[in-house]
Amino acid sequence: MRIKGFAIAMLVPVVSILIALAAAPPFAPTPASATPGFARQTGISCQACHTVFPELTPFGRKFKLNAYVFTNVKQIEATDEQSQRTLSLSDLPPVSVMLQASNTTLGRGVPDAGVAGDLSKKNDTQFPQALSLFYTGKISDNLGAFLQLTWEPSSNAIGIDNSDLRFANHASFDSIGIPDFIYGLSLNNNPTSQDVWNSTPAWGYPFLTSSVGVPSVTAALIDGQLAQESVGLSAYLFLFNHLYVEFGGYRSAQTSFTNTTTGGPGPLDSTAPQARIAGVAAPYWRLAWEQDWDNHALSFGTYGISTKVHQPGIGESGPTSRFTDVALDAQYQYITDAHIVSATATWIHEFRKFNNAGLADHAHDWLDTARLTGTYFFKRKIGGSVQLFSTTGSRDRTLYCSPDTFATAPSPACPGADTGTPSQLLGSANGKPTTQGAVFEIDYLPWLNTKIGLQYTAYDTFNGRRRNYDGFGRNASQNNLLYVYIWTAF
Amino acid sequence: MKATIMYTVVGGLVLMSALAEAQEKSAAPELVTRVCSTCHGPRGISISPMFPNLAGQQAVYLETQLKAFRDRSRADPHAQAFMWGMAAQLTDSAITEIAAYYAAQPPAPGKPAGREEIAAGKKIHEEGIPAQQVPPCQSCHGDKAAGNGPFPRLAGQHRPYLERQLAAFISNARANEIMHANAKDLTALQISQIAAFLSAQ
Repeated sequence: MRIKGFAIAMLVPVVSILIALAAAPPFAPTPASATPGFARQTGISCQACHTVFPELTPFGRKFKLNAYVFTNVKQIEATDEQSQRTLSLSDLPPVSVMLQASNTTLGRGVPDAGVAGDLSKKNDTQFPQALSLFYTGKISDNLGAFLQLTWEPSSNAIGIDNSDLRFANHASFDSIGIPDFIYGLSLNNNPTSQDVWNSTPAWGYPFLTSSVGVPSVTAALIDGQLAQESVGLSAYLFLFNHLYVEFGGYRSAQTSFTNTTTGGPGPLDSTAPQARIAGVAAPYWRLAWEQDWDNHALSFGTYGISTKVHQPGIGESGPTSRFTDVALDAQYQYITDAHIVSATATWIHEFRKFNNAGLADHAHDWLDTARLTGTYFFKRKIGGSVQLFSTTGSRDRTLYCSPDTFATAPSPACPGADTGTPSQLLGSANGKPTTQGAVFEIDYLPWLNTKIGLQYTAYDTFNGRRRNYDGFGRNASQNNLLYVYIWTAF
Repeated sequence: MKATIMYTVVGGLVLMSALAEAQEKSAAPELVTRVCSTCHGPRGISISPMFPNLAGQQAVYLETQLKAFRDRSRADPHAQAFMWGMAAQLTDSAITEIAAYYAAQPPAPGKPAGREEIAAGKKIHEEGIPAQQVPPCQSCHGDKAAGNGPFPRLAGQHRPYLERQLAAFISNARANEIMHANAKDLTALQISQIAAFLSAQ
C-alpha cells in the first residue's frame, strides 16, 4: 500500500492527542467468559486463544483485534458485478452457551430483610448463578461481534452482558517504515471490555465472583461502574506488533427501565442509575506496549476516562460531579504446554470533584484502587491465583454514608437516605473507603472449557475499619467469602 | 470542545479505514499477513518456540504438512489444537502460494547453545549413532540441515520445537515410520544435543 496523505495526516493528531492525554491526566462486574462459538468458527481449540479461559494469549489478543473474523467454516458468499464481496456469512452460526453454578458461604449472615433484628442464612447456592447465550464471531469480512445475553437469578431478568461489535482491517505504510498494522473500531457497552489484556477491569481477575457478597462502599467509575450502562465507540491502532493506541467516547445507555407511569425511572430519566454520564460523551483512552520474547509476553500501559456524572438521586438540571480516572496497568505471561504463569497489576487513581454540597463533605476527593494478581496453571488442568487488592481514598462521612451524617444531611446517593435510616452493612462509620484484602483461588479444569473453582476472599479492612466498620457492630472479616463454583461453556 | 476533538479523531479513523480499503495488496499473500503471521511471524520467523519458524522451509515439505493438517493425518497435539482448524478450508492453490512464500523468505539465524552439546549434536548429525541404528541426520536433511524437497529444513529451528517433534515421532503422536524408526532409541540427552546443534545452525 502507498502513502495516503490524508490518512497520515489523521494519524499524527490521533497519536499526539493520545500522548497529550497520557501526559496530562486532568484532561479529562460482570461474569467474564471465553466462548466455544469462536472454537466452532475457527476450528481451533481453546488453548490457542486462552491460557486458561478467559485470559487471552498473544494469539487470542490478535484474534480479538482482528474483529473475531478469522474463520475456517464454510461461508455463504455474495459478490457484486465488480467482484467485491457483499456477504460472507458462516454456514453455521458461532453460537454457544455458558453456565455458572455456585455456592457461597459468608463469614456471618447479613441483617435479614424479612425478620427484624435477625440475621439471614449465611449460605447460598445458585443454579445457575448465570446462564448466557453468545453469538461470538464473524458477521462479514471485516466485521465481527461478541454478543452476550445473560439471565441471572439475582435479578430474575435477561439482560445484555458485555458486548462488542467490531470492525477491523489491515494497512501498511512501508515507505515511511510502518509495516502491516491493524486498525479498527469497537462499539461496546463497558469501558475496557474491548481491551485485549487482562490487566484492565472488565476482563481482570477475579473473573468470577459471588453475587451475594457484601459490596464495598465505593469503586472507581472505570472499575465496573459503567458496565452495561454505557455505550462507547472507540477507534484503535495496533502498530509494529507492539503499540496499541485507542481513543473513544462513552455515553450513558439504558439497558432496562421501569415504565414511567408506575413512577420508576424511565429511559429519559436522568435520576436512573443508568444515566450516569452527563454531557455529550466521556473521552476514553488507552495506550499500551506489548513485548513478546520466547515464551514470554509483557505489556504495560495506561487507560482512563473523564466525565461529568449525574450522581444517583440528582436530576438532569442538578449539579453534576466530575470524575477523572487515570490508570496504569501491566501484564506478564509465561506460556508453555506444561506451565503457565501470569501476573497482572493495575492501579487506578480517581479525581472526584463534587459541585453539589449535599453529596460529599469536600468539593474534591480522591480514590486509589490497586490490584496485584499472580496465577499458575499446570498443563491447563490445575492451578490457582492469589490477588491482593486495595482501595483507599479521602475520608468523607457524607459520601460514604456514615450513620453520623444521617441525622443531619445524608447524601441522596446513600441507601436509606430517603427514609433517614442509615443502612447497616453498606456504609462506612468513619467515612473512609479503605477496603483491603486478598483472594485465594484453586482451580481444576477437567476439560479446557470447564472450570471448577474454590475461592476465598479475606478482608483485612472493609469500608475503613477492621472492626465495627458500619457503626452497627459488623467486622471486616464477617464479610469474608468462601465461594465454590463450576463454570462451563459449550 | 473535547467532544469535537473526539468526534474528529474517531471520524478520522473511520475515514482512514475507508481509504485503506482501496489499497494494493502487499507481496505476501493476504492469508499469511493476517493469519499465519500471528504465530509464525510476519516473515516466517516466530517469536514463541511453541510455533516453528517457516522462513526458508522447503516448499514441498510445507505443502505436504498443510495437506496433512487439512486431512488430519498429522495429529500431534499442537497440530490438532491449532493447525487442523487453520488448514481446514485451505484450497490446493492457497497451500501452494503459502508454501512458496515461506520457502522464499530468508531463514532464521542460528541460536547459541553450549559448545559441548553442539559438538555432540554435530557428531550425531554427521555420523549418526551406529550402535543404536540411528542414521546421520544429514543423509536426508543435508549437510547444512537446509532440507531437500520433502525433507524439512532443520537449521535455525527453535530448539524446543525440534525436541517436541522428536518426542512426537517416538510416541507416534506424529506418525512417520521413518522418523519413528530413526528416533525411537534416542535418549533424552541425545535429543537435546541434536536439537541444540540444529537450532544453532
